[in-house]
Amino acid sequence: MTIMKKSIPVGLAAVLLTAACSSGTNANSDSGGDNKTLTLASVDQGSIEDVVKAFEAANPGVKVNFTTSGADQYQAQIRTQLSSGTAPDVMTVWPGNGNPGATYVLAKPGYLLDLSDQPWAAKLPDSFKSVAQYDGKTYNALFGLNGIGAVYNDDALAKSGLKAPTTWSQLLTFCRDAAAKGTPAYALGIQDNWVTQLVLYGLAATVVFGQDRDFNTKLAGGQATFAGSAWTQAMAKYQDMSKAGCFQENPLGTSYEASQTLAATGRTLGIVQGNWIISLLKGKNPSGKFTMTALPATDDPATFLMPAAAGAGYGVNAKAKNKELALEFITFVMSPAGMKLFNEKQGSLPTLPDAGTTVDPGLTELTTFVRENRTVPFMDQLWPNAKVQQTMLSGLQEVFSNQATADAVLKDMDAEYKKGE
Amino acid sequence: MKRFSQWVLVTSVPKVRRRSRVTPPWWFTLPALLLFAFVVLVPSARGVYYAFTDWDGLDPELAFVGLRNFTDMLNDGDALQAVWHTLLIAVAITVIQNGIGLLLALGVNSTIKTRNFLRVLLFAPAVVTPIVTAYLWRNLLGPDGAVNAVLGPWGRDWLGDPDLALWMVVLVVVWQFAGYSMVIFLAGLQSIPREIYEAAAIDGTGPVRRFWSIVRPLLAPAITINLMLSIIGGIKLFDQVYALTGGGPGHATDTISTLIYKDAFTLGEFGYSIALAVVLTVIVAIVSAGQFAVLSRNERAAS
Repeated sequence: MTIMKKSIPVGLAAVLLTAACSSGTNANSDSGGDNKTLTLASVDQGSIEDVVKAFEAANPGVKVNFTTSGADQYQAQIRTQLSSGTAPDVMTVWPGNGNPGATYVLAKPGYLLDLSDQPWAAKLPDSFKSVAQYDGKTYNALFGLNGIGAVYNDDALAKSGLKAPTTWSQLLTFCRDAAAKGTPAYALGIQDNWVTQLVLYGLAATVVFGQDRDFNTKLAGGQATFAGSAWTQAMAKYQDMSKAGCFQENPLGTSYEASQTLAATGRTLGIVQGNWIISLLKGKNPSGKFTMTALPATDDPATFLMPAAAGAGYGVNAKAKNKELALEFITFVMSPAGMKLFNEKQGSLPTLPDAGTTVDPGLTELTTFVRENRTVPFMDQLWPNAKVQQTMLSGLQEVFSNQATADAVLKDMDAEYKKGE
Repeated sequence: MKRFSQWVLVTSVPKVRRRSRVTPPWWFTLPALLLFAFVVLVPSARGVYYAFTDWDGLDPELAFVGLRNFTDMLNDGDALQAVWHTLLIAVAITVIQNGIGLLLALGVNSTIKTRNFLRVLLFAPAVVTPIVTAYLWRNLLGPDGAVNAVLGPWGRDWLGDPDLALWMVVLVVVWQFAGYSMVIFLAGLQSIPREIYEAAAIDGTGPVRRFWSIVRPLLAPAITINLMLSIIGGIKLFDQVYALTGGGPGHATDTISTLIYKDAFTLGEFGYSIALAVVLTVIVAIVSAGQFAVLSRNERAAS
């Protein structure tokens, strides 16, 4: 039933896209010039529109036919289009591995065009290169990056008279004090299960990768496991935070949306989230000021790392109808002008240093961490399949509702990890 | 509705009039059958093939794996739990929704003044799209929602508590569709001739006896339809679960349908997901065939 419902819009989109392509070819034979129509599918609702406008303005006569959709729907649609040969010329591709629209997943069967010879490919910092590549070749134009940390509502914090914690011990005291004042420290909306991972990633960055930056390599080589590593400490600290009253009551019944309202209106002092939350919080409280810091996970701030990872980028269809125009579009996205436009709209940081993007003042600490190479990619980006992350997400919900123990969840993740691709 | 009540009348009192007709030749059904085969049967059969492969929805190369997807299911705790949830939800919805629907129908079939207004009011939720109702209830049942505001200290985390969440799904479905069952029961009730009630009243029967000996047997066709619709709807429940809880917390409210969706579109395990869909189809077929056989036997006995 669901599959049927899903396939209707997918089928429609496919028809529309083919129609778009063929009309482009017709126009071509009339004018006798180059093909001027590019097809594009994207998940960057709210920012791709402006980028397309700017691209069309910079290339007179060029028309971009684009569709946007949510990530879930997009992942289903793009796979159907790729396997039936009706995919657009340029499309959203996620970095690394671990989701159905990721670089590894799409590049492995040969659906993506090799972009290694593009001038920006060599300039990408190493931590992004690893997730833009498959088998040593670059396939993904990653333009923006996001980080996870504790975001504070400055006004609420000032009113409480408390100071944002900078060590793990301070964090627990901060949580107890905040809870005693009736405004819990952090809003947590884990009814939407993807939110469950954010606090854990914030803790694991320092606790796991602070000790061992090569942990992922060891995990892949079979020399390390989740259940037998510092991941158990990260899990334990997550539960310590919960016990210390860091989060508002009933987090499992609280949605992502509701958690934003809590933090924006000062009913909690902050929220542990990605930097994208700042523009959402400002949407709910336009006069509010929000500042992001690393989530303290040990008592030595010098060892803190922040999870920071490239967001979804763009790949070119290996069978693109209009390869040249597709590459021109990618070049535009990776140019200082395109990158600035995209990142300022999305509230993210640029992946290339010379983009001149104006970053929200609340993200100063994240910018510093990125510049000082004190970041680790989101942990799931290098896991071999999507099941590992999904096991973690529903497992964390089970931990919060006492249906499972943290150790059992980590063991399940190990089991799924070992199944490989 | 009018057409439906006529149908109820004809089936429940079959001996009244039976027109003799010439049976039309079977090949009259051919165009419809061909269309049905082209749109439903052939694609479904081709789809079933993928249940025996390791297709990931993307890779054009797929391997035939025989029954492996089905044997994997037996070792998959999440899948077994989802089957259990599905059956639990289906039975609970069928019993509660039809119980309430029948009581409502008896109520608005009486001579109270506001009955027409009540009929519209009680049927109204069934007109709304399930996904909208579910989002509405998700807000009402939230920790800061209207339900907890009314209950005060007795408030709970309705959707975040794994012991309660499944029953909240049932509650939302029953709230929405009890009026739907009511309308079908009402149509059945109105087809019962007034004379029978009058005769029974003259014989001195009370309301309980009247219900048991007259209304219940004559309502058999409506009961059959209602039970069929609600049990099938319950078994393939998706929208409400997905919008209310997303199957969570953890897997506490996952049904077969939500697992099918997750396995295919989040995990890219299309082969396994289609195998689950095949199992769901078989369950629906067995349950509805069994139920139909039992109920139509009762119907014949009653008429």
